[in-house]
Amino acid sequence: MAANNQPGALDKEQIFGMAEKEMEYRVELFNKLTHTCFNKCIEKRYKESELNMGENSCIDRCVSKYWQVTNLIGQLLGSNRPPM
Amino acid sequence: MSSNSGSEFTNDSSSSTEAEKPQIEPIRMPTVEEIRGQDIWNNCAVRSVASGVMGGGLGLLMGLFLGALDNPIMQEEMTARQQFIYTAKQMGSRSWGSAKTFAVMGLIFSAAECVVEKARAKHDTTNTVVAGCVTGGAISAKGGPKAACVGCAGFATFSVLIEKFLDRHD
Repeated sequence: MAANNQPGALDKEQIFGMAEKEMEYRVELFNKLTHTCFNKCIEKRYKESELNMGENSCIDRCVSKYWQVTNLIGQLLGSNRPPM
Repeated sequence: MSSNSGSEFTNDSSSSTEAEKPQIEPIRMPTVEEIRGQDIWNNCAVRSVASGVMGGGLGLLMGLFLGALDNPIMQEEMTARQQFIYTAKQMGSRSWGSAKTFAVMGLIFSAAECVVEKARAKHDTTNTVVAGCVTGGAISAKGGPKAACVGCAGFATFSVLIEKFLDRHD
């Protein structure tokens, strides 16, 4: 009702806010994914600058699992909201 | 995202002190072609073939060297030219046999190490031990199971020593 007076501005604000939140979420997801897989897969003693084959396949698996876990938890959170 | 913000920060700081420090290059994400070019070496088949070719080259050189050291049977009837041809043929056949053996060794070792490392997703000396055992066992499998075991243990130890020597060299 009150929103009907200026529908354009409020909608734009809402959309901008949501896009900003989405962008922050994506950036956070990328950073966490990178840090997790880096700490898990790459040894601290750097012997060379190129990635080995073992590290390469470890990173592939790590990213794939992380992504699946994210999607799965997102679905679980979205579908049944547990009664708080 | 995080790397873009890092590159902006680096550009600001470098432009303010450009008289003192050399230009710091921003972080550049690899292009698709670069990734594909590096990914060729992640393919087990390509790696083992390349390793086999290198082993063949090494075997060729070793066979030439050892074949030249071999003294032919000195016959007085042969002239110098015939002796030369005889020595050359012996060197050729010796180096070809040696090249084949070394090529097969390199191929099997590289293929086994690649497969094991991809499966374990780790870079360890265990990969070298398993690959060495498989190679040694495959080469001396004709002598029976006992010879295969001895070949496995011997070649695995040799591979580990070579690997440690190469790592220390860096």
